[in-house]
Amino acid sequence: MSAIAYTLAVFILITAVATALFKDVLSSIVIFGAYSLGMAILYTFLLAPDVAMTEAAIGAGVTTILLLLTIARTTRPQTDEVFERINVPAVVVAAAFVGVAATLLPDMYAVGDPDAPIWGGGVISETPSAYYVQNTFADTGAQNAVSAVLASYRGFDTFGEAVVVFAAGVAVLLVLKREVFT
Amino acid sequence: MSQSDMRDTYTESQVILTSVKIIAPFTLTYGLFMTFHGADTPGGSFQGGAIIGVTVLMLAFAFGIEPTREWLKNSLVVGLVTGGVAIFIATGLATIALGGNFLEYDQFTQQFGIAHYWGMEAIEIGGVALIVAGVVMTLFFATAAGFPPDDREADPGVSDDD
Repeated sequence: MSAIAYTLAVFILITAVATALFKDVLSSIVIFGAYSLGMAILYTFLLAPDVAMTEAAIGAGVTTILLLLTIARTTRPQTDEVFERINVPAVVVAAAFVGVAATLLPDMYAVGDPDAPIWGGGVISETPSAYYVQNTFADTGAQNAVSAVLASYRGFDTFGEAVVVFAAGVAVLLVLKREVFT
Repeated sequence: MSQSDMRDTYTESQVILTSVKIIAPFTLTYGLFMTFHGADTPGGSFQGGAIIGVTVLMLAFAFGIEPTREWLKNSLVVGLVTGGVAIFIATGLATIALGGNFLEYDQFTQQFGIAHYWGMEAIEIGGVALIVAGVVMTLFFATAAGFPPDDREADPGVSDDD
């Protein structure tokens, strides 16, 4: 990872903590949007442009708009305090979680390490990843292996996901007791 | 629906209007490009559909939610969402009808000579993109409308009965 990626990681950490700390809901939502945008850029550094586009469109775009709409439709508590009061038990739990994750982090494989289990511990030719990389174009004619896995190899899963998105839209209408989509 | 409530949150801003008028055609084109080109370049119908939906959200921010709601026909969004699910299911059932498994696009190749690639594009463009674009618009307009006004005043215990 380059210096830019590390800078982004620090930016993401700061915005994540700021989202939790700010008392004003509007400030939290705006910083949360910045956090999502930082995540989206970091995903491109981790060579996952598909995930980055989803994060930018859904995380930074749609979620921020929906949260803004929600505070426009509800009450926004006025306060003079800038920061939320620190909840000590919550900080202890969060710190313990970070501690466990940080202890395990050095044991993780580096991105693209050929010894990682996903590459068959060195026997790359026998792994699913290698199969997709080598055969996707011949099998499906698609140059983007991610799309081919989603739409062709795992088509039934994608069908389930699409229906879940549909169900989410219908569920919102049910909760709000509306009978029209717009 | 309390229209006066919504007007309060809308401020006509020349900056937002002008920026949205300039940016919206590009976001729509980018969303369509991502949808139609998803099999060969990063991105895909999910991201593309979301960006197409966001274009309508941008219009709603610039021109006000209620005018956009009136402009956007309910039947169009219903058609997008249910049509997407219908096309997806129809593609899957068609391959079963031809003697294969669910979404086994090679059946199209054997029976009609349609490449595997176009079976994928059918569910990506005709299925996922339509559903996601429609649902993003639905979430936005449903959240903007909020609860019906009479529901807010009613006793919470009473509203469970219906």
